[in-house]
Amino acid sequence: MVPYSARRQLVGRAIGLGLWLSLFLAAAALCDLSPEILRQGLGKAPHFAREFLPPLWATAEEMVEPLLSTLALASAASLLGMLLAFPVGLAAAANIVPTWLRLLVRILLGAERALPEILQLLFFVVALGLGPFSGMCALAFSSIGMLGKLVGDAIEEADDKVLESLKATGASFWQVIRYGLLPQVLPSLAANALFRFDVNVRSSVVLGAIGAGGIGAEIARSMGMLQYNRATMAVLGSLILIYAAETVSGQLRRRLLEHGR
Amino acid sequence: MLVVDALTKTVPGGRRVLDGVSFSVGAGEFVGILGSSGAGKSLTLRAISGLTELDSGEVRFACEDGTMCCVTRARGKALRAARRQMGVIFQGLHLVKRMTVIENVMMGRLGFIHPLRSWLYGFTDAEAREALEALDQVSMKPLAGRITGSLSGGEMQRVAIARAIFQRPRLYLADEPIAALDPRNAEAILNLLQPLSRHNPVVSTFHQPELTRRFCTRVVGIREGRVVYDGSPELSRSELAGIYGIQEAQAV
Repeated sequence: MVPYSARRQLVGRAIGLGLWLSLFLAAAALCDLSPEILRQGLGKAPHFAREFLPPLWATAEEMVEPLLSTLALASAASLLGMLLAFPVGLAAAANIVPTWLRLLVRILLGAERALPEILQLLFFVVALGLGPFSGMCALAFSSIGMLGKLVGDAIEEADDKVLESLKATGASFWQVIRYGLLPQVLPSLAANALFRFDVNVRSSVVLGAIGAGGIGAEIARSMGMLQYNRATMAVLGSLILIYAAETVSGQLRRRLLEHGR
Repeated sequence: MLVVDALTKTVPGGRRVLDGVSFSVGAGEFVGILGSSGAGKSLTLRAISGLTELDSGEVRFACEDGTMCCVTRARGKALRAARRQMGVIFQGLHLVKRMTVIENVMMGRLGFIHPLRSWLYGFTDAEAREALEALDQVSMKPLAGRITGSLSGGEMQRVAIARAIFQRPRLYLADEPIAALDPRNAEAILNLLQPLSRHNPVVSTFHQPELTRRFCTRVVGIREGRVVYDGSPELSRSELAGIYGIQEAQAV
């Protein structure tokens, strides 16, 4: 018996393609996908390009402040998230806290991660009003959701022998945490926080558009006032910011992990 | 100095891993604990420093004020006070690898410093100088600033001993301090431990009867959680066979 059959291959591939096509068409029908609208939209493309281009270079200087505000928002959220992720991570680690507490914290962290940042921002806007502060809270909160879980995992993988040898010197619980555990998890926490910073810069642009201020608000406002060239300038500014954040974050992370080994 | 009295411990499943272990240690002794793997040697050491729960039995130890206190029943502050007086020499792999050698040595005195201080700045310059002296005793002074993870196994073992010396304990406990070392390094480590025992007793587990014969003042043999030998380090073939549970002819 040859464990291969050309006919079965053909049938298998046909079924796969058919499955994909039927799922896509069903979903597209629910989205009111229509080739007609697409054709009309594409026809307007040259017109739009003329509206948006070129960027209104004269407004470049005006973009600096909202860009810095967005950067500050992302930085504050990442730093706060990093700080708070450590205690939260402790409470999510099986080798530190009782099982019921670990489970509770892990469920809360999971629920937090399942909630989109935009929804979280809406809650904070209701509580704290519009502005960068609400945006910072929303991003810090979601940073804790991710970093807390990663720190918890890192703590569970930490070398228990090191902790025990410090316990044997008569060190207190918190001293063991500070001298035995923190050095083991800090490099990975910092690396993850840098990654999260990269994510937060992107998110803060989006959140800005729906109420957190900064460059996102600038883009939304320009579009609303039909100043499309100005919006293009703002988009260009945020592209530069996001690219710079990604580069810096990646470089620092690589150095950190190389050094940490 | 140290009294180990009828320690028993049963693990889930019903096996008795400690079955009435008793011995005592006095001033100036270097006690070598021999036994097969799983006989209960390491567990006995862990019980002495209060790192494992026991079913029954007591560990009594001369405390800071000179009175005998019971480690087994101590909790919280009292337990930490007892642990401060015992320098446990784990295998070097228990060091914090991302920190420097000198920081690892100074951690030996964590139990003595105020928790607030340990979060603010840690140790003082005076303590650092003392730690350097401890490193000098184990010939590791030149490597004091190195990251611990970059050391060899023998070097880490020396740092672990320096940490215990820096702690200034009244008793040293060493868990297979030479298990992962080549013969030359093993000999060097024993040459460090032996002089320590003249001031404060050393209790250490070993796998090499020929080395305990040369360096220890006394040998305690443990087999299946029971003390089956307690006496001179000059063991006869039949005594060794008794500890390891093998035929006399096979004993070294």
